[in-house]
Amino acid sequence: MELPDLAARWMHALTSTAYIPLSHAEIEQALLDTLRELPESPESVANRLVSLHATGPDSLRATIEVLSPTFELPVLARLSSAYAQAMRLDAFDQQEQIKVAIVRAKQRVERTLQVSQARFQEVFDSAAQGIAITDLTGRCVEANDTLAEIVGLESGADFIDRELRDFYHPDDLAALGASYRKVREGHVDRVRDQRKLIRADGEPVWVHLVVSVLRDADGRPTHHVTMVEDISELHLLQRSLDHQLLHDSLTGLSNRQHFISRVERQLDGDPITLYHLGLDAFSVVNNGLGHETGDKLLKIVANRLGELAAQKKAVLARIGGDEFALLTFSDNVTSTIEEIQAALGEPTFVDDHGIALSVSIGVVDRPPAFATAAELMRCANAALRQAKARGKRQWALHDPHDDARRRGRYALAASMPGAWEHGEIKIVYAPVHDLETQEVLGAVARLHWDDLSHNDTMALADSTGLSLPIGRWLLREACAQAARWVEEFGDGAPTLHIALGALQSRDEDLVADVKRALDETGLPPERLRIALDISSVLAGDDNALVLHDSGIVTALDGFHGGHDELAVLTEVPVRSVITRAPAPRPDSPLHQAMRALIRTVHDFGVRFGVDEVHTLDDAEHWRQAGADGVIGLLPALSADEVTELLRAASRPPEAS
Amino acid sequence: MAELVSWVPESVDTGKPSAARLYDYLLGGGHNFAADRALAEKFLQAQPNARTIARLNRAFLRRAVLFMIERGIRQFLDLGSGIPTVGNVHEIAQKADPEAHVVYVDFEEVAVAHSQLILEHDPRATIIQEDMTRPAAVLQAARDSGLVDFSQPVGVLTAGVFHFVPPQADPNAIVATYRDAVPAGSYLAVSQFTQDLQPEEMAGVVEVMKKSQNPMYPRTKSEIEGLFSGFELVEPGIVPTPLWRPEGTNTDDPDKAGIYAAVGRKV
Repeated sequence: MELPDLAARWMHALTSTAYIPLSHAEIEQALLDTLRELPESPESVANRLVSLHATGPDSLRATIEVLSPTFELPVLARLSSAYAQAMRLDAFDQQEQIKVAIVRAKQRVERTLQVSQARFQEVFDSAAQGIAITDLTGRCVEANDTLAEIVGLESGADFIDRELRDFYHPDDLAALGASYRKVREGHVDRVRDQRKLIRADGEPVWVHLVVSVLRDADGRPTHHVTMVEDISELHLLQRSLDHQLLHDSLTGLSNRQHFISRVERQLDGDPITLYHLGLDAFSVVNNGLGHETGDKLLKIVANRLGELAAQKKAVLARIGGDEFALLTFSDNVTSTIEEIQAALGEPTFVDDHGIALSVSIGVVDRPPAFATAAELMRCANAALRQAKARGKRQWALHDPHDDARRRGRYALAASMPGAWEHGEIKIVYAPVHDLETQEVLGAVARLHWDDLSHNDTMALADSTGLSLPIGRWLLREACAQAARWVEEFGDGAPTLHIALGALQSRDEDLVADVKRALDETGLPPERLRIALDISSVLAGDDNALVLHDSGIVTALDGFHGGHDELAVLTEVPVRSVITRAPAPRPDSPLHQAMRALIRTVHDFGVRFGVDEVHTLDDAEHWRQAGADGVIGLLPALSADEVTELLRAASRPPEAS
Repeated sequence: MAELVSWVPESVDTGKPSAARLYDYLLGGGHNFAADRALAEKFLQAQPNARTIARLNRAFLRRAVLFMIERGIRQFLDLGSGIPTVGNVHEIAQKADPEAHVVYVDFEEVAVAHSQLILEHDPRATIIQEDMTRPAAVLQAARDSGLVDFSQPVGVLTAGVFHFVPPQADPNAIVATYRDAVPAGSYLAVSQFTQDLQPEEMAGVVEVMKKSQNPMYPRTKSEIEGLFSGFELVEPGIVPTPLWRPEGTNTDDPDKAGIYAAVGRKV
């Protein structure tokens, strides 16, 4: 038979054994090509047949039947065995491919499952209703925290492996059992019921129950889902109380606590801006038109701000009598300020009174993420105070640097009691020099705390109310030390000078305190000089007079040379005044004035002392101006260091 | 979380036979598993001619695609495409015109993953994972794929698919939604099992498939006619697969073809 005829017959035989996705003509041509190759290379013919998909169960038999009269047995045998091999490899390839497809499909399904699982878990965890999933025997496999709360357990995990029916009222068991069965058997999709649960503490709680069933892929029931809603009055009351605790009863807005908790929750998210609003001159409304009108006005303000907050998706709260707070996200401060003023700027009519409204606003914009909500509230409040200080309808942005300065001082004052208790505040002694003889006249007892000077420390102590106890402590301790020096060095001991703070200077108990200190320590009164703050004397306090009458020499500290101060010198018997001022250089016009002032003081029989004189030049200038003594030429020393110096000075000359 | 996983069903289960892989096996393909082959053996007992029926159905699909190409169709929506096997639509269409676009639609995970593998490097063909009985979702996804221009005629192919759609899913309404989405001049190809041919064997097949994931619903000629509402059937109308525009002289017995085939043109 001619090869083309053979190819045509072969094509007809093959196409009824397998689907070859080509036209008959194409198949015939392909087969004709292979026929020409067959005697030489039966293997490539076999491969071609498999790649054409001539791979039906009967394809090989049909091929051999068509070709056997024309071709020799050895050629056909090689073709058959090569065909079998090609089929095997083709099957492997296809299996490999489907395996990859399976793996991919599985991965995708698992991913989808994970997502839906996560979604489910979120619903499950955050649901306002209690949810329990139980197996068909009634044992919990999963329950959420809301359910735990309803029945008084710690967490949803506490339900695992427990019987849900343990929490049902014994009287309800039969009826509920029937409900679960009805759902399980498919008579109804779900059962709704109102029942009593028994809490862990034995208390009953009324709940709405919804019971449904979960089925597996074949539709067989596997689990029950029980949804539980707490409808007890206690629960409802609690919810109402919660609302009252978190909301302002007049305006219905969130209150300060609620607002702070909302701010806390937002700190890690989008950049936030905090506005602290204070109504301008609200007290005028309250006092002039009455509290009822004031309340109505506050409601109007709350409404208008509420609309603005809703537009901006912001959080609004009433955080004080006439103060509101607004929390915005990714905000433009100036335009929001304008919107706030515009919202409130429309004339307001309350009880026929037309009232113009404005607010002052403190702003904290985009605070760092580590700030706490309480800090932000404080900063916003500080900014509001600044804005108010500038007048009405003002706003101020919180300035972190300014705040840090102010806060540093507050922090220092706040830590002062602790520092004193822990012995961090020490007493040091600064020498008083006679400018004429250059001798040491005595030692001034001073407070020393970290880098702070005595005056700064006293001022801080005054601001905390600590100055009286610290002052008494200073008085007593210094007197005790001076008494020890007198005991050891006799006349060589320095006279003790103590400068009192403003508060202590006018303390009613001062004279008694001084006397007690002298009595208890045994320090002779003539070895003590008390410097009172001159403001106390100017205010008419008579401590200086009483001390003088008690035989204690006094000085007035803080002298400026004012007329009233000079007048005081004529009335109060003091030994000296102490001033702090730049040294009067001999070539300066002030020099003459200072000389004249000192001469006047001398004319009253009062000596002139200067504190904070640190160089010999300055001391000389003061000497030329007529001053008697200076403090500060040598650094203040601790009691032990002074003792060492005194011992060295009193040693026989040959020992040195 | 661990407790939850145990009661969520697994959806890729090669232990359960699938109609798509059964079809592949009957066509001589190797993309199938023991469970598919076991079901195929039962199928072959009920209908010994099953391999021929599969081959004839696949051959009809090829001729239908080439017929539409000849009538100017260059974009195809192959609904229920199953796993890629010998003579895929995009291979046939793109051999005729490399610019032809094909969107396959199937819901079964393995079929979709397999199709993605095959189509990875073909920018003119894609697979959408969607249930073909939800036409709105399918059409939206097809639009989103960017491969189908619904202002131009579309070739909608449903080869061996509707016999898996139960009557209660309303096959006529499903086809109508696809019909309304494509312009006049579009074509619809349907092939589906019928009890009109070899009713005894067909009843046996229905029985075999009843217990599988893909029960079958054979339809009479007049029921199949109902699918073509709004379409004009092209010659020779609804006929056993080997009689639909055969290539050369047909040597297969139409009475044992099991499946009716038809193509209609939207008017």
